Amino acid sequence: MIAPTTAARRWLPDLLTAAGLALAPFVLPALGVPPDTANRVVVWGLFGIGFDLLFGYTGLLSFGQSAFFGTGGFTAAYLLINGYLSNVLLGLVVGTIVAAIVGGLVGLIALRRTGIYFAMITVAIGQVFFFLENSPLAALTGGENGLPGVPSPDFNLGFVHWRVQTGWSMYGFLAICFFAGMVLARRIVASPVGAVLIAIRDNPARTQALGHSVWSYKLTAFVIAAAYAGLAGGLLGVLQGFMPPDAFTFDTSGQLVMQTVIGGAGTLFGPLAGAAVWLFLQDALQGALGLGAAWKLVLGIIFVLLVCFLRRGLIGGLRDLADLQRRRFPVTAATRGSSAPPSAAPATPALRRRAGAAAYSGPVLEARNLTKRYGGLVANRDISFSVAEGELRGVIGPNGAGKSTFFKMLTCEVAPTSGRILFHGHDITGKNIATVCQLGLTKSYQVNQLFGRLTVRQNITVAALAERRGAFRLDLLRRLDSVAGLAAQVDETLSLVNLGSRAEVPVSDLAYGEKRRLEIGLALASSPSLLLLDEPLAGMSPRERAETIQLLKAIRRGRTLVVVEHDMDAMFELAERITVLNEGTLLAEGTPAEIQRNAFVQDAYLGGMAAE
Amino acid sequence: MLSWPNFLSQCFNGLALGALLALISSGLTIIYGTLGVLNLAHGAMFMLGGYIGYEAYAATQSYAVAVLAGALAMVVVGVVVERVIIRFFYARPPEDQILVTFGLGIVIVELVRLAFGSQSVQIPPPAWASGVTIIGFLIYPTYRIVVLGIAAVALVALYLVLYRTRLGMVVRAGIEDSGMVDLLGINVDRVFMLVFGIGAMAAGFAGIVNAPVVALTPDVGDTILVETFVVVVIGGVGSFPGAVLGGFIAGEILSLTSMIDPSYSQVMLFAVMTLVLILRPQGLFGLEGRE
Amino acid sequence: MNDVKTGRGVATRRAVLGSAAGLIGSAVLPGGWIRDAAAAETYPALGTFPEGSSGDSVFIGIAVPRTGTYAVPGEDELKGYQLAIEHLNAGDDLIRKISPSTTKGVLGKTVKFGVADNEAKPNTAVQAQSRFISQNKAVMITGSVSSAVAVALNKLADREKVIYLPCISGSNDTTGKDCARYSFRECFYAYTAANAISPVLIKNIGRDKKVAYLTPDYTYGHTVHQSMEEFLKPGGWTTVTNQVCPLGASDYSAFLLNIANSGADVFVNINFGNDAVQSIKQAQQFGILSRQILAVPYITPFLAREVGPDVMQGVYAATDFWWTLQDKFPLAKMFVEAFDKKYGYKPEWGANAAYLQVAFWAEAVERAKTFYPPEVIKAYEAAPTLQSTVGEVAFRASDHQLVRPVVIIRGKKKADMKGTDDYYDVLEVVPGKDLMPKPDVLGCKLGSYT
Repeated sequence: MIAPTTAARRWLPDLLTAAGLALAPFVLPALGVPPDTANRVVVWGLFGIGFDLLFGYTGLLSFGQSAFFGTGGFTAAYLLINGYLSNVLLGLVVGTIVAAIVGGLVGLIALRRTGIYFAMITVAIGQVFFFLENSPLAALTGGENGLPGVPSPDFNLGFVHWRVQTGWSMYGFLAICFFAGMVLARRIVASPVGAVLIAIRDNPARTQALGHSVWSYKLTAFVIAAAYAGLAGGLLGVLQGFMPPDAFTFDTSGQLVMQTVIGGAGTLFGPLAGAAVWLFLQDALQGALGLGAAWKLVLGIIFVLLVCFLRRGLIGGLRDLADLQRRRFPVTAATRGSSAPPSAAPATPALRRRAGAAAYSGPVLEARNLTKRYGGLVANRDISFSVAEGELRGVIGPNGAGKSTFFKMLTCEVAPTSGRILFHGHDITGKNIATVCQLGLTKSYQVNQLFGRLTVRQNITVAALAERRGAFRLDLLRRLDSVAGLAAQVDETLSLVNLGSRAEVPVSDLAYGEKRRLEIGLALASSPSLLLLDEPLAGMSPRERAETIQLLKAIRRGRTLVVVEHDMDAMFELAERITVLNEGTLLAEGTPAEIQRNAFVQDAYLGGMAAE
Repeated sequence: MLSWPNFLSQCFNGLALGALLALISSGLTIIYGTLGVLNLAHGAMFMLGGYIGYEAYAATQSYAVAVLAGALAMVVVGVVVERVIIRFFYARPPEDQILVTFGLGIVIVELVRLAFGSQSVQIPPPAWASGVTIIGFLIYPTYRIVVLGIAAVALVALYLVLYRTRLGMVVRAGIEDSGMVDLLGINVDRVFMLVFGIGAMAAGFAGIVNAPVVALTPDVGDTILVETFVVVVIGGVGSFPGAVLGGFIAGEILSLTSMIDPSYSQVMLFAVMTLVLILRPQGLFGLEGRE
Repeated sequence: MNDVKTGRGVATRRAVLGSAAGLIGSAVLPGGWIRDAAAAETYPALGTFPEGSSGDSVFIGIAVPRTGTYAVPGEDELKGYQLAIEHLNAGDDLIRKISPSTTKGVLGKTVKFGVADNEAKPNTAVQAQSRFISQNKAVMITGSVSSAVAVALNKLADREKVIYLPCISGSNDTTGKDCARYSFRECFYAYTAANAISPVLIKNIGRDKKVAYLTPDYTYGHTVHQSMEEFLKPGGWTTVTNQVCPLGASDYSAFLLNIANSGADVFVNINFGNDAVQSIKQAQQFGILSRQILAVPYITPFLAREVGPDVMQGVYAATDFWWTLQDKFPLAKMFVEAFDKKYGYKPEWGANAAYLQVAFWAEAVERAKTFYPPEVIKAYEAAPTLQSTVGEVAFRASDHQLVRPVVIIRGKKKADMKGTDDYYDVLEVVPGKDLMPKPDVLGCKLGSYT
């Protein structure tokens, strides 16, 4: 997805899609597939593309897509039937837009929560729309009878006149719509926005911490999915010449989810495949096998089995199989396990030069009287702290000294109970973590927070994108590799953390030390002017430790760093100044030599160590 | 229909409806709170409890046996489902858990349809609780009053289990912080299995107790599930007191709005949910930061 | 039976069709006029004609709900179809009494059929029937338990030029504003039901009564409610409350409390399907049925069996058919006996409607002497008097609605029941002629034949 491809390879899937869609009317009749079934599969497939962007790519499982399917469908049908619009295409476009707007409004509510809350809220919202269609708006929507008489499109281009009729002629129209939807979706997936959406699916918290406005991107995905649903709903009306009220039922949303999972979420083509399987089995189980009412049971069982054993669905399963084949070739194996000691920093990556920052000459970061209480428990009490430009500051302290809470407050992950935080002289207290990252302050985590299903390069790309594009940008159609300076920045970061040779390896295949370096690389890639490292040496073997210390020495050039570490030897070797925390308060601060001599520190620290 | 007697009758009815919703929702919320799994098959389990009770009733003609059989069988069903399917999903993303329980719900409904057909089956209320009770102006089915009583007792029992036993302590600890349970050195595996069993029992028990009120069909759990979601979202996912309060709130909304415009009673429920989401996204008793 | 000559003629036509249509599957031959052997007339290709009737069998697409809340009447309906088709292919006496032109099969062709679950959803129904049309070349499609499905298939029928016969469909719209040239309805509906039951209620219960309504919140429910109010007005009846409830509610207590506290004399319950079963059962628990008289203007099949005779005793209802009509109509007796023998229970009105629809269709095709749809429609529209299980009936050409009696029944006491299925007394069989609205009242505008 993020890896660069040649122009030919870039367009190949689109060409294949077009060819497949064009061949279908010649192949399917021979297989006994009637045009109506093919048409429905295409409509479900289009509906599913949007849902796949939402669920398969962004990780948001909605059970309320029927709301937008119905909204788009009924809007288009109403306008066309009552003569407000005569052009079918225009009706479909208006329906799509209305669905997208409604999707935006619903998203504002539903996206207040994530995970299961989100799923439950979408179920409830779907029900509300069904009710609205059926009762208060029955005069407009025809209530339980729906809206009959939706016209078919009619294209008069002067030299050719295409009047779309039922059967394969309708298929032609629907297939063109599907193709357009697929090309657009593929562009979106390949765009910087697509890269961020995938990152959100894998690790929303880290995406936010890297400076992306996760909420805005989620809303974007939600609106896009609603637009696709709206278009598909409109097409359903056109296909049948009738807009059915059951478009709004929970079953519609449920069937969409099941088809997408059966076909494979996160593949774009999955919903199409899932719909084909679903409609085929629905017919075959009732017709050829004569199962009667039990058809739904069989489909239910198939669905459960797929979720249990083939979660990536049919298309996903095929892709995995293909990947497995590819991996058998020892091409990548040669590059594996090569963890040569880091070369002395090849180049100093471009430092962030922000307007206003240059004129400022005070401390980079200043914390004033930070206090954090959890209920009755005081985690941090009245800590004041300041870091100068270019400094490498160590923060040490025994377990339970409040280092983690302190760090979380500095990056605005946790708001202090009282006190202020100033970054380049600006008050950032209570700001969003993404905003703070955009200002140039970020951290690497004690426990790796990586994008586990992506490659090393994709990981770094996500981080670099935040710096290149800001917190939120709607460049849906721009190609990822056309983002100016992105590739260079990613490559620089990769070589800085010495993962250049491992760029195309999935994170899940990395060794622990490599993952730690990637963790630091993520923070580095956003070109922070102040980098906070939370126990970068935690859990490392002696060799990995030595490598990482080298790495820290390399990256400190031209940067301001604050490092929390248990490993005091490393701190004494690296840091210019050290701050010691104990029992939530600031105990001492000074050069390594001063700290080593400090009696209080020896006492408290060793005492604390002994108590562990 | 605005009159004092009717208003008071509807208040009481809201209480009766609410108690049942509270009972079903508490099952859903306990399972989620402890296991982190949203059980979309909860409505199907509510229905299944009713059908198992019906079978027991058909065999013995005894209400008590039916209720007992329905509840106990659902513990077994819950444990089996947990062992065979759910436990493999603890480590998987929440979306997978939702998907698998969603599918499971469909399978259960269609299995019951296969076994019993679509025609409704009936369990009469026990002889001692049939007919209506007249309290002043309030005329109310005796059995529904009994349901209110049973649901209240069951909620108290659940409360005692959760707040006065070791298992309950573990469950609540798990709701507060899933890591803590491990630290306590407890056999998490067994606790999870039991909790799923108890959650399924709460649904199944409500299903059989409610069975004489409704005509049982395989689809009877569908509407309940959505209402349960609303209750849980209002009360705060994972919170037992939230489920109880949310249940009663939902019951009163359904009842009282019917006096003004009955067709809007369901929508009012969703409106209140939306309001809660805007003003207090974590729900009335929800824990901040827990998703 | 098919004679050999016809069979051979068919084969050659098929070959021609096959090669011409091969490129794009089921495409209709443009302007191709085909000679119909049976009718010795020439007709253009239209809908599934002539492909659907070119072999020695014809295909009927049946889609009924088999899952969901309408599955019970759906299965009953299906049995009615199966019995009718079996009778048709065997040339049974019963079907030949209803369709006197029938000998065996239809125009000498065996009738085959396919069944699909329409889940009571318009979308699924259209999907299933579209497949029967395009893949099986169905010459007729049929089946419905809800008007939403009937209306959707009406539109499909007009569009695909294939005759559709709704079965259970109570909405005025099915032969009203959503009527279709290609669709014919057998059963009673909101307007005739309200019109038939109201005078009986006034006659039996008295004048100047107070009524409480429980109305399902969709167009059909509101229509019946309005019709009932209109027809009860002459008796001085007034509405004290109209409780509008959502479709598919599982608990009716809030609505029923309002009705219990409304001081009504009569409780009119308009719910259908499982909603009717649920709400009536719960009304009984609230003691409403012992203080108010229940009237059901449009009865759900198997209602009495599901809620039991204790609940149904004294309940007034309008229906399409009740099996004890066999004492009155000989054809009803034949039908009930044949059905009971095959399936082991007394048919409900959905099965009766299904049977009659197939029989009437066979008669229309025989009279038209061709499967060419416009000719079949014209044979229907000629409106011959037809014999049926409810006496003499006839279709109305202007809106394709069968003019047929509405049967008013009242629930028996358990002690008075003779046998398990004997739930009702037939109070009146109200002749259909006087019940029907004037043709243009419901806004029917039939579409074109071709």
